[in-house]
Amino acid sequence: MTSATTRERRDQPRRPRPARILRAGPLAALLTAALVLALTAAVSLGSVDVPPGEVWSVVARRLAGQAPAPGTHDLIVWQLRAPRALLAALVGAGLGLVGTAVQALVRNPLADPYLLGISSGASLGAVAAIVLGTTLGLQLPFGSALGLTVSLAAFAGALAAFSLVWLMARRGGGFSPLRLVLAGIGIAQFLGGITSYLVLQTRDEQQTRGVLFWLMGSLGGAVWAQLAVPAVAVAIGLALLQARARGLNAMLMGDETAAGLGVDVTRLRREVFVVTSVLTGVLVAVSGAIGFVGLMVPHVCRLLVGGDHRRLLPLSALTGALLLVVVDTVARTALDGQELPIGVVTAVLGAPTLLYLLDRRLERN
Amino acid sequence: MRIAVEDLSVALAGRTVLAGANLIAEEGEIAGLVGPNGSGKSSLLRTVYRHLRPSAGRVLLAGRDLAELRPAQSARHIGALPQERGGDFELSVLEVVAMGRTPYKRAFAADDAEDHRITAEALARVGMAEAADRRFAQLSGGERQRVLLARALAQQPDVLVLDEPTNHLDVRHQVELLALLREQRRTTLVALHDLNAAASVCDRLHVLHGGALVASGAPREVLTAELLAEVFGVRAAVVEHPLTGDPLIAFDHRNPAEGSTAAGAADRTGSRP
Repeated sequence: MTSATTRERRDQPRRPRPARILRAGPLAALLTAALVLALTAAVSLGSVDVPPGEVWSVVARRLAGQAPAPGTHDLIVWQLRAPRALLAALVGAGLGLVGTAVQALVRNPLADPYLLGISSGASLGAVAAIVLGTTLGLQLPFGSALGLTVSLAAFAGALAAFSLVWLMARRGGGFSPLRLVLAGIGIAQFLGGITSYLVLQTRDEQQTRGVLFWLMGSLGGAVWAQLAVPAVAVAIGLALLQARARGLNAMLMGDETAAGLGVDVTRLRREVFVVTSVLTGVLVAVSGAIGFVGLMVPHVCRLLVGGDHRRLLPLSALTGALLLVVVDTVARTALDGQELPIGVVTAVLGAPTLLYLLDRRLERN
Repeated sequence: MRIAVEDLSVALAGRTVLAGANLIAEEGEIAGLVGPNGSGKSSLLRTVYRHLRPSAGRVLLAGRDLAELRPAQSARHIGALPQERGGDFELSVLEVVAMGRTPYKRAFAADDAEDHRITAEALARVGMAEAADRRFAQLSGGERQRVLLARALAQQPDVLVLDEPTNHLDVRHQVELLALLREQRRTTLVALHDLNAAASVCDRLHVLHGGALVASGAPREVLTAELLAEVFGVRAAVVEHPLTGDPLIAFDHRNPAEGSTAAGAADRTGSRP
């Protein structure tokens, strides 16, 4: 649909709003272009500004396997900013994807990737590693607060939380939306309590800051070696969910409707729960629990292209990637010499945007 | 296709809600299920569209046990219109109807021209072609039911299963929907609250009471004053409809049937082993 017809419709308030505003194809092209621009800006901007042209020449040389040209900002571009920008894109894509799938899974547009308790397990694992690890005198790469040990502990915590929620949710033949949500919330509260206790046990200010920064989510200290796992996880997750897009659509209408359409609802819900949990675990393990992206992105995308998951899933991934690259760049560069926790920026920018969109939507209904 | 329900029992959370029901819907026949609330109508229908698994007995589709078919296979033959109404997830009318193609599609398969044709045809059949781009959540109750019926038609089913399709519709929309059903000339299993509607549109009626089938036959044979008192606990006279000649049930809305209380009816519900 062209923007002209959209405007026409706005002039006729009695005409009901169409279910979708934009076609998925052009929107995907637009988002991809915007993502490339955002990635360029993310690598270009910072305490030292690198011109966009130089960014791409450094990247081109690296990709061609050539030695870095002398006098360029190779270290900044290739070692510091590029992996971070790409990690932001991957985590954003994953959060958008998981948010969309979890909202269909529990048939509730208020759900987000952290609703099912997975992230609280990851947080507990990470905080335990930071607190207990340093107490035991283990060496952690603290400058980044996101070392491999912490990531592994976080993923282990995510799997533990997943197992607990699974055991609770499967009782009574279930995996019903209500069971999943209640089990998730219960486990999240339980693990969150232990995490809070551990935070109180932190011994010095630096440790506390490290823990808090982790809990609020951060992409700091990203290195190339960190990207492979989330990249593979997001790609596989997208493929697995996309293959189930029709089933997710049917599930939106209700379990009985889905059953009538030949969807094995219990099995589908189990599969989607596993896929979203593992993906959430991987994302939280590399970046902490970055809030709001997984809640907001599905809403924005649904408003733009409607509720069909065959379009919604890939577009949520793209939109999430774009959003988090932009937000992380803001978090890095907004204050001189100090980095904002990315969760603060997603909430401050995201909440008003979401409220505005919902408000406009309610008005037009 | 013919649907045969054989000795079908359903238990929910250990409680028997349907006990050994037998009924047959012949090819092209509209079979109506009537009975008070909690009599097992929905449970029987849910077993046919495979939301519930029978605890005993079986459902035969043209002689084949449904349990032997994959869910997607049986959904190509049985289209359902359950009672639930989806939430608001920004789905368009066309997208809702296109869901009817789900049992025919493999993972990643896009809708092809054939799917588009079938979807558009189903939407036109229920008179909602104009509404294709509207949001499903914005439709009125009557429009929604028609769209959901179109979705079931897009499954190209041999058998339609409908659970109280006229609930919450005003009289005109009830009549339109039931007329649509009759036009289909498909094997149909439909649960109806409105006994007069059931008497008019169904070729055969099956009366459920407390999880058991207590009467089956042509509406004229089944709907007697005695049965209405016994099963529904109401006083009624059965007369001839002045326009259609169908049985017309005139309820006494002032007095319940003698010796019958709502509590008594509730006691019998689900009490069978």
